[in-house]
Amino acid sequence: MKALKLSLVILAAALLTIGLSGMAYAFHSGGVADCDGCHSMHAPKTGGTALLQGTDYSSTCLNCHANAATGSYHVMTYPFPGAGAAPIDYNVGGDFAWLQKTYTYAGHPSSVTENGQDHGHNVIAADFGLTVDSNYTQSPGGTFPSAKLACNSCHDPHGKYRRIGGDTTYTIATSGAPIIASGSSNTSPVPTATQAVGSYRLLAGLNYSQDAGTTAISYPGVPLASAPGYGIAEAAAIATRVAYGVGTVSGSTTWGHWCGACHATFHSTGNYVHPIDQAMSSTIINNYGSYVSSGIMTGTAASSYLSLVPFATNSGDYAVLKPLAKQGAPTAGPNSGDQVMCLSCHRGHASGFQSMLRWGMNYEFITIADGSGNAEYPGTDNGAAASAAQGRTSAEWQAAYYGRPASAFGASGYQRVLCNKCHAQD
Amino acid sequence: MRYRKKQLLIIIAIVLLVLPAATAKAQPVKGTYLYNLSSFTGTISFSWPRIFVDQERNEVYVVYQNIIRVFNATGMEVYSFGDDLDLGTIVDLTLDQDGNILLLSYKWSETIDTGYEITRCNYRGEPKSIIAVKNLPPQYSKFLPNRMVYREGNLYLASLVTMVVVVTDSDGVFKEVYDILPMLELEEKEKQDAMMDAFSIDKDGDFLFTIPPLFRAYKITPDRKVSYFGKSGSTPGKFNIVAGIASDERGNIFVVDKLKCAVMVYDKNFNFLNQFSSRGWRPGFLIAPEDVVVDREDRVYVTQAGNKGISVFKVTYN
Repeated sequence: MKALKLSLVILAAALLTIGLSGMAYAFHSGGVADCDGCHSMHAPKTGGTALLQGTDYSSTCLNCHANAATGSYHVMTYPFPGAGAAPIDYNVGGDFAWLQKTYTYAGHPSSVTENGQDHGHNVIAADFGLTVDSNYTQSPGGTFPSAKLACNSCHDPHGKYRRIGGDTTYTIATSGAPIIASGSSNTSPVPTATQAVGSYRLLAGLNYSQDAGTTAISYPGVPLASAPGYGIAEAAAIATRVAYGVGTVSGSTTWGHWCGACHATFHSTGNYVHPIDQAMSSTIINNYGSYVSSGIMTGTAASSYLSLVPFATNSGDYAVLKPLAKQGAPTAGPNSGDQVMCLSCHRGHASGFQSMLRWGMNYEFITIADGSGNAEYPGTDNGAAASAAQGRTSAEWQAAYYGRPASAFGASGYQRVLCNKCHAQD
Repeated sequence: MRYRKKQLLIIIAIVLLVLPAATAKAQPVKGTYLYNLSSFTGTISFSWPRIFVDQERNEVYVVYQNIIRVFNATGMEVYSFGDDLDLGTIVDLTLDQDGNILLLSYKWSETIDTGYEITRCNYRGEPKSIIAVKNLPPQYSKFLPNRMVYREGNLYLASLVTMVVVVTDSDGVFKEVYDILPMLELEEKEKQDAMMDAFSIDKDGDFLFTIPPLFRAYKITPDRKVSYFGKSGSTPGKFNIVAGIASDERGNIFVVDKLKCAVMVYDKNFNFLNQFSSRGWRPGFLIAPEDVVVDREDRVYVTQAGNKGISVFKVTYN
């Protein structure tokens, strides 16, 4: 009898194993991924933690998310491009390979060096040559230790944060219903009362700790957004809009407050800094809608959205956000109540510019004009002044602007910095 | 009693006879570390470079940060070129039947979407002509390849992200296209993550590629029959983060795993034979291996991350 029971247990285990082996899932699916993608149950790294295989957390992530091929779920061009060549992954958060692009150029009185590490979040990934930020021991404006910065500082690798019960009315929690799919896309399913979808890009929320609970980060909730599709690239040739939202229900938050978990004093509340999480004034809204390029204010609000200067739609309703997330057709600029956010000016990962800005601020012009009066980027390869080229080739400038040709900023050149999309001082 | 003793002896004899055979079956192939590709100043620190083996001339070509280096059969650099070429960003390399070097590069013009170029260079690496892809069906006008293979008069251009392989003749005239994603008959959820991480062509003209999020390695025959193998897991032969794939003259298939940091060997029927190497920074160990190629003398070249260069192993068969 005992032997029979044991046989049945073994048989059941075998069937279960065979059954599970046959089931295939997309990798993260809005929540915890297949364990074998990150952990090695039988061949873990010697001296490692949690049966992980990479030298550190981010190295484990970049095994899949770094690649020489652009697009899809990649966030870093790897191998790093050589001198004069550009990172080419146009993911919305930005390409971490910019962290390796250091530029030195002639200046006054001495040469200027723009260090690659100034271009973004210096996540530590030893297997991929990404090292701790040597400028800051703590997050600027906050106290998060730079030596701990990793992908899992912002993204919950196990994807526990979820939206339960619907697109319009829902709760945010880390349990309560199973995650059935990613919640990042405008094609994500609407969860029923007994279902959930994952938070946008597995971003972390309330009571989060990275490193198995050793480093707490006081996120006030998860920020909200909907992307046009699954793994999208912000290709300049195709209008791309991620619909950022404003979290109001418990467990959700605004984008500014979310970033403020590590950069607290940069948030506008009570500080003399650029407004964040605040409704744009009617003047700003009108400027945004009319602005085409420097000196040209003949635009139409209905098609004025520019992915280089995004904003948050004043809604946490995914029934509102999902239709706004589009790729391929121009979309409208801000309406009354829509908010400026950190991501209006900065990328989340890294960019081709200092402080991971979305555009360069070290020279007044983004584009200039060649001898024939046609727009061009001021590169080291086309005779531009050193202060304009800043050590970059025209190809690197173009990649930093997500592949936009210089003419996209006006055929005759001399586009000024994109603060003017809102402020129209040019 | 005597009968039992005899029985026991027979059993022991059978075990002794069968055991070595079983062991041999478990490990019919072995990989031994030889060296890393080097120059006269020491090993060269690549991270995930592109690599190509010229089987006819027994040379190895490596593309890394827009420089092409050529290595001889003992792993020493004998020639390099490319840093002064105005070809854009070089993403892959292959050789045609005449020994001309074909370079696939991205050109930065009005749009990156279709901004690739194929340059035919002579054996010195001097550009001689541009191969323009002609007569491509309009629905593939945004096609952007990142892998290029030349085989028997045909040029195979593969986009790993969109999983499309365009076949042209040696002058770039369109012949056929493989839109691979629909051919795999995946479930809707599987399609979300489906992207090739590697692409190669075996001696029979079969496409070999891997899809890491699905823990699978695929083969597509020239008559478009699809087969695959692979299961997730960390025990020998299973996949964690599967990456590069290649086959040798015998038809054996070599697959590298970025997480496991091992090279796994399967026979042509996808039966697991053995695996070698593991994670580590010392010579002979691997850090996030990305691609693999095999030369005609059973040398296995493995690219990896962490500036660990290209490790070369010798495979021996029992």
